[in-house]
Amino acid sequence: MLGFLKILARNVAQGPSTDPFPFAETHTPRRFRGKVTMDPAKCVGCAICRHVCAGGAIRIEPREDRSGYDFTVWHNTCALCGLCRHYCPTGAITMTNDWHNAHLQERKYDWAEHHFVPYLRCTGCEAHIRMLPPDLATRVYANHAHDLDFPALLRMCPKCRQVAAATRAAALNAPADVDDAASAGSGNGNGSRPAAKAAAANEETTPATPHTVKDGGRTDADTPRATAG
Amino acid sequence: MNFLKKLSVRSPWLYRINAGSCNGCDVELATTACIPRYDVERLGCKYCGSPRHADIVLITGPLTARVKDKVLRVWDEIPEPKVTVAVGICPVSGGVFRDGYSIEGPIDRYIPVDVNVPGCPPRPQAIIEGVIKARDVWMARLGLQE
Ligand code: SF4
Ligand code: SF4
Ligand code: SF4
Repeated sequence: MLGFLKILARNVAQGPSTDPFPFAETHTPRRFRGKVTMDPAKCVGCAICRHVCAGGAIRIEPREDRSGYDFTVWHNTCALCGLCRHYCPTGAITMTNDWHNAHLQERKYDWAEHHFVPYLRCTGCEAHIRMLPPDLATRVYANHAHDLDFPALLRMCPKCRQVAAATRAAALNAPADVDDAASAGSGNGNGSRPAAKAAAANEETTPATPHTVKDGGRTDADTPRATAG
Repeated sequence: MNFLKKLSVRSPWLYRINAGSCNGCDVELATTACIPRYDVERLGCKYCGSPRHADIVLITGPLTARVKDKVLRVWDEIPEPKVTVAVGICPVSGGVFRDGYSIEGPIDRYIPVDVNVPGCPPRPQAIIEGVIKARDVWMARLGLQE
């Protein structure tokens, strides 16, 4: 009898355990996996997110005129799994805790997030590239932040960036190891140092092979792989 | 009399159809209605066992080839005006099963859907939100705007 009274008193004190929604706001955990969102300033177009997407909700389409690519996340196909967020090398794609997803059928085909992400031309060789996001560059060149000309480097394709970094290092008479980070992703880590030195020795050298934009929206695959691996 | 009539139609009964779902969304639907924590019955809703008593039908699953005819038959049994809610990304777009060999969905190829509640599965509060939207559509169809 006493036990019953105790429970009664506790229940009266605590009030109903029913979630007040829809008559009042409900509690949403901070890390609740809700709608996916993408920050076009950080995206490098590597399409890893599209590759791992469980539902096939991500679409990346390069424009015909090579001005950039269109990026779309379809909320109606997204399984809220979080794989895109996990694998994105730059942290461009993230998840909000917004779960207000119910919508009328009229809105079905615009229940998505669209972004246009522009390319720029490499200042070295004029190739169409996606600018290296500053956040990523700070990580890639973590040990060389003091002796690099960042704003200029960001606007170059990986090859021109390597050459520029090496040239600058040679000019500063520093040990020519500035290209370590850049060459890690290019596949010929051994060969690039002498090559870069040669480039530095010959002031007239310009990058020979311009990078062109590959199909499928992958522009600057070297850079993200260098950090992800 | 008019007042009574208005009052009496505010309680849409819900009916569930599982069109080949993985059961994730059905568990959330059960949670939405059957436990006091979310309690959709506060809105006057109630699950019913027969499609002929239903006003709002909640469909889960990507409409597999195996259940397609049965789903369409049951759906036809529900009297007009009915409101169809697609719960989960499966009925809306096919979800993770999209383009599978046994998938006939998305469901709006065969059934006129009114409200979509994407999510895999959507949380109970999102389903309640969808039910509220469906209720508004239903009231509008009856000519009884709130
Ligand atoms: S950086 Fe790559 S993984 Fe991240 S959003 Fe852009 S394309 Fe997707
Ligand atoms: S959360 Fe999963 S399903 Fe949604 S866009 Fe990201 S990878 Fe695709
Ligand atoms: S939407 Fe996800 S949880 Fe719901 S039935 Fe489909 S696969 Fe299962």
